[in-house]
Amino acid sequence: MAQEKMLSGCAAAAQGAKFAEIEVTASFPIRPYTAIMMELARMVANGELDCEFIHGEGEHAQVSIVLGASACGARAYTGSSGVGVTYAFEMYSPVAGGRYPLQMAIADRTLDPPGDFGSEHTDAMSCRDQGWLMGWAASPQEVFDNTLINYRVGEDPLVMLPQFVCQDGYFLSHIPDKVILPELSQVREFLPPYKAPHPLSPACPVSHGPQIRPDQGAPMDAQRAMTFLDVPKVIERAVADYNAIFKRNLDPWLEKYQMEDAEVAFFIQGAHANTCKSAIRRLRAQGLKAGMVRPRWLRPWPTEQIAEALAKTKAVATVETSTSYGGATRGGNLIHEVSATLYDLEKRPLLTSFMAGLGGDVILLEDFYYMAKILKQMVEEKKTRQKVYWVGFEEEA
Amino acid sequence: MQAFNYNKQILEPIKSLRGAPREEMYVPGHRTCAGCGPALNYRLTAKAAGLHTIFVGPTGCMYVANSSYLCTPYAVSWIHAQITNGGAVGSGIEAAYKTLMRKGKYDGPFPNVIVMAGDGGSVDIGLQAMSAMMYRGHDVLFICYDNEAYANTGIQTSPTTPYGANTTFTPPGKMIPEGKTLFPKDPPQLVIGGHPLVKYVATTCVSYPLDLMNKVRKALNVDGPTFLHMLAPCPKGWRFDEKLTLEMGRLAVQTGMWTLYEWENGVYKYSHLPKTYKPVSEYMKYQGRFTHLKEEHIAKMQAFVDEKIQRIKAVAVEAPIPTPKQKA
Repeated sequence: MAQEKMLSGCAAAAQGAKFAEIEVTASFPIRPYTAIMMELARMVANGELDCEFIHGEGEHAQVSIVLGASACGARAYTGSSGVGVTYAFEMYSPVAGGRYPLQMAIADRTLDPPGDFGSEHTDAMSCRDQGWLMGWAASPQEVFDNTLINYRVGEDPLVMLPQFVCQDGYFLSHIPDKVILPELSQVREFLPPYKAPHPLSPACPVSHGPQIRPDQGAPMDAQRAMTFLDVPKVIERAVADYNAIFKRNLDPWLEKYQMEDAEVAFFIQGAHANTCKSAIRRLRAQGLKAGMVRPRWLRPWPTEQIAEALAKTKAVATVETSTSYGGATRGGNLIHEVSATLYDLEKRPLLTSFMAGLGGDVILLEDFYYMAKILKQMVEEKKTRQKVYWVGFEEEA
Repeated sequence: MQAFNYNKQILEPIKSLRGAPREEMYVPGHRTCAGCGPALNYRLTAKAAGLHTIFVGPTGCMYVANSSYLCTPYAVSWIHAQITNGGAVGSGIEAAYKTLMRKGKYDGPFPNVIVMAGDGGSVDIGLQAMSAMMYRGHDVLFICYDNEAYANTGIQTSPTTPYGANTTFTPPGKMIPEGKTLFPKDPPQLVIGGHPLVKYVATTCVSYPLDLMNKVRKALNVDGPTFLHMLAPCPKGWRFDEKLTLEMGRLAVQTGMWTLYEWENGVYKYSHLPKTYKPVSEYMKYQGRFTHLKEEHIAKMQAFVDEKIQRIKAVAVEAPIPTPKQKA
């Protein structure tokens, strides 16, 4: 029988890994993701999970250990936060380039300086171009779902790519919410055992990762890029199966909130979306037709789905929870992607961005009201005054 | 916690060169230099280990010159690792096979997992991963093939480059006449010194193939982490005539620059100890990396080696060819 439990985002990730019957995991402590590994350690110690639990000597080693394990055909799992995510950076390209479909949980944490414990998406966002599948959850339930869905998609023979399964540190990683834990038999139906096509084995000699010539480099890059053309259909199939087996109603790409008649829209990743939805309910009560679009994937970026969701709005604001110093707008990252997504629309909505939720800051309801005020002003004036607003730092609108 | 049953195949001792396996697991066609010591290390190691082996090859000469352009000389399974993480990738492989065997997804016997790392990949940038692998007790043989420099990138100093060597990062000059001023790290002592699960460590050299192959077999027969430090003369890096590779290894042993020993459960056994040591200048004179040295520098090197020899004399137990344990 499926059962409902109150789980934090970290506990939900660990449950996801357990239901996925992971075979090798590697740990190193850093807050806040550590709670995932503490859970897994407990499960291994008391026999709930048959998995090699290896104490890595750092994040670089964590990813290296699971690379080795995945190369042999084991289902492998690791995770990190903040500077731990960036410490392992060297390994992200070899893992994706080697087509090892292992999974790494990221519970976001600000990078140093100054050693802030808070959540901010810059750690994971910095890794977005390494060829991994990647996306943010907004609830512990979604963390659990994404853990299973990502393994299923990543291990698909058409895909064979590693996955970052991201969640906001603390806001999500440490706040319990209801999670439905399914039957193991349902999970096995959804996620068959991993079978590596060319495992590193004494039974059949193979070489993994020999050097290539420069003229072989571009084709390999192109091959990895082409794979991302196949990923969307694999995701859609996986989510359809997930919904059927677990009796759920997930959209493969986006969470759309009150978008049917929205004139202004927030575009936001991760758990701050929950506050955003509360704000929208209040804004609508005051007469502003506001809505929200939350992407469930950053890679692959759901270009068509986002364009379609935002096409009928008059003004859109990306809520940036990461930094892109010196970028096109001198603000965050999402606006770059959303700009490129909307550029070819016949009738483009106005677009701006808000720097918020940085350094572990909470995005308050008041902050969303402030953003709404600017969106409303844009609609009235039919123009974008600024491409980026630093919420809490600007003169009153 | 129950100890894992590795159910390994046991490798029998090789009693003579003639009795060594004929099969090559490291085959010709690679792009190493003429007279390459590390390539010979690889060939002998692979021959001794046999078909049931997985090599981990961190970046270094033995990656770049061996696996060029998708051609590899490995007749057994091989995976590239970064220069940083041979120990960690090896750990992951070993862990995977443990789970796969426990779950009945792989029948065994447990594969020989061998990390073949250069000196940089072992005790410089690769030290952390190597040490952690030893500490955690993975059943992996970690080999440091030591050609005493970062040779693939154009001969830069590593922690095992000898004092006085001219490398492209330690060029001799007016201010620093001896080139390299530091004395080298001691890899086997690093392993022996702080890793309670390590039961077997040994040094060897390509010039002593029987010694080398049997140490490989002995190490592989041990359940748990083992370490071999292999001297691998490098004609390009050390600048000697490429036909002298084996001679350089022999001279290293005969002068005391290199010693062949085993350390097993706390006991040292030496082999091929010279009755009288030749002066280090006999070894250094063939090598372009030392030609700039003055008398006083060579004397300093001699003093370093003399001290090492004194220490050996205090503990040395002469041993014949190392004998891999027979199956109990």
